[in-house]
Amino acid sequence: MNVHEELLDDVAVYALGALAAPQAQRVRQHLVDCAECRAEYRALRPVADLVGLTAESAAQPSRMLKARIMKQIRTDAVPNNGASAPSAATVRAVRPIVWPAYAVAAACFAIALVTSIFNISLNESLKQSQNELVATSARSSSLARGVQVQKQTIADLLSTSSKRYGVAGGEVVKHGERLYIAMRQLPPPPKGKVYQAWTLMAGTKTMSPSVTFVPNNAGVALIPLPENGAHVTAVALSVEPEGGSKQPTSTPTFVVKLT
Amino acid sequence: MARVRARDASAFEALYDSYHRLVYGVALRILTDVGGAEDVTQAVFLKLWSSPTVFESGNFAAWIARVTRNRALDVLRSKSQRPEGELPCAVADEEQIEETAFAHIDAAAVRGALAQLPTEQREPIEMGFLNGITHEEIARRTGIPLGTIKTRIRAGLRKLRSALDGAVTA
Repeated sequence: MNVHEELLDDVAVYALGALAAPQAQRVRQHLVDCAECRAEYRALRPVADLVGLTAESAAQPSRMLKARIMKQIRTDAVPNNGASAPSAATVRAVRPIVWPAYAVAAACFAIALVTSIFNISLNESLKQSQNELVATSARSSSLARGVQVQKQTIADLLSTSSKRYGVAGGEVVKHGERLYIAMRQLPPPPKGKVYQAWTLMAGTKTMSPSVTFVPNNAGVALIPLPENGAHVTAVALSVEPEGGSKQPTSTPTFVVKLT
Repeated sequence: MARVRARDASAFEALYDSYHRLVYGVALRILTDVGGAEDVTQAVFLKLWSSPTVFESGNFAAWIARVTRNRALDVLRSKSQRPEGELPCAVADEEQIEETAFAHIDAAAVRGALAQLPTEQREPIEMGFLNGITHEEIARRTGIPLGTIKTRIRAGLRKLRSALDGAVTA
C-alpha cells in the first residue's frame, strides 16, 4: 500500500471520528491540499454520520428530563431570537417537583376558592389554572410514554421467547436486540462506588464499559443495556468508582456468556 | 424544524419525543453514565432550541447524532485523566456535508446496510462511532493491527455508502 492509500484510510477514520487529535490535525491539513482525499471525505462523512442512527436503544432518560427541558422551553417560548442557550447545569439545578394529578387538581381548586373569596381577578386565576392543566397534560403524556417502555420491559422479562442467563442474585435477559440486567438481591455498593455493566461484542476480545447504576434499597435493579443485544456475546458486572471505569478495576460480581 | 425556528414550543416537544431516545442512546453509549447522558441530552436539546438554524438541511437524525456524539466526547474529555491522544477528536458538526440523497434514510435502513457488511468491517465502524473510541483503542481491544483496522473502516464505509445509495434509488 502506497503512502497516499494510507492517507485515504486515515481520511475514512477521520470521517468516522475515530482519529486522535494529532492525527486528525494532520488529516485536516492534508484535506486542504488534496482534492482526491477531499472527495473521499465528502463521500464517506455523510455515511459515517448515519451510523449514529443505530444508537437508539430501549434505554430511556428519566421522565423528569423532559419536564425540565420543556419547563425551560416554555419559559423561553416568547419571541426572543437573541436568547442565549441556558446551560444544562443551570436548568438541572432547578429540579421541578412533579405533583400527582390529584394534588394539581386540589391546588387549582384552592386557587379558584381563594380568588373568589378575595375577589381577585378571575381571568388571572383562570389563566394560571390553564397553565397548570397544560403542564399536567404534558407530564401525563410523558408518563404514558414511560409506562409504554415499562410495559415493553415487563413483556420482555415475561416472554417465553426471551433468553435468560442466571447469575447470582438475578439474571441477564435477552429479547432480540434488547438486553437487561435484572437483579433481585444486589447488595449496595460501597460509598463512592457504583455497579458497572460490561459487554463483550462479537468479534472483540475485551469487555467494553456499559452503564453504571446502583440498586434500590431492596437490592433490586432492572437495567436495560444500551448495546444491541444481538451483537453482545457476554455480560459482566463489577463494582467501580462513581462515573464508571474504562476497564474493570475489581473482581466481577458475575460474568455470563450469552450463548 | 421550521416551526421550532419560529419558537413553537409544541413543535419542539414533538421533536423531543421523536429524537430523545436517539440522543440519549448516543450519549449513553459514549459516557456509559446515566446522569451524564441525561445532562448531554438536555444540553443538546436546549442548544437546538436556542440555535435552531444550526441545522440547515440533510438528514436531521444523523446530524443530531453527530452533535450529541461531539458533546459527549467533550464531557468525556473534560472529565478524563487520560492524555488527549487517547480520545477521538470530534469531527465538527458544523461542517456537515449536505447529502440530500440521504435525507430520508432511517435507522432501519442503516441497520440493514450495516448488517450486510462483514463483521470484520462492521465492528470497527460501530465501535469507532458508537463507543467514541479511537482506531488505536479498537486495535487494542480486538488485537487486530492498526493498519488493518483503518483499511477495514474505509472499506466498510465505502460498502455502506454503496448499500445506502442502492436503498435510496431502489
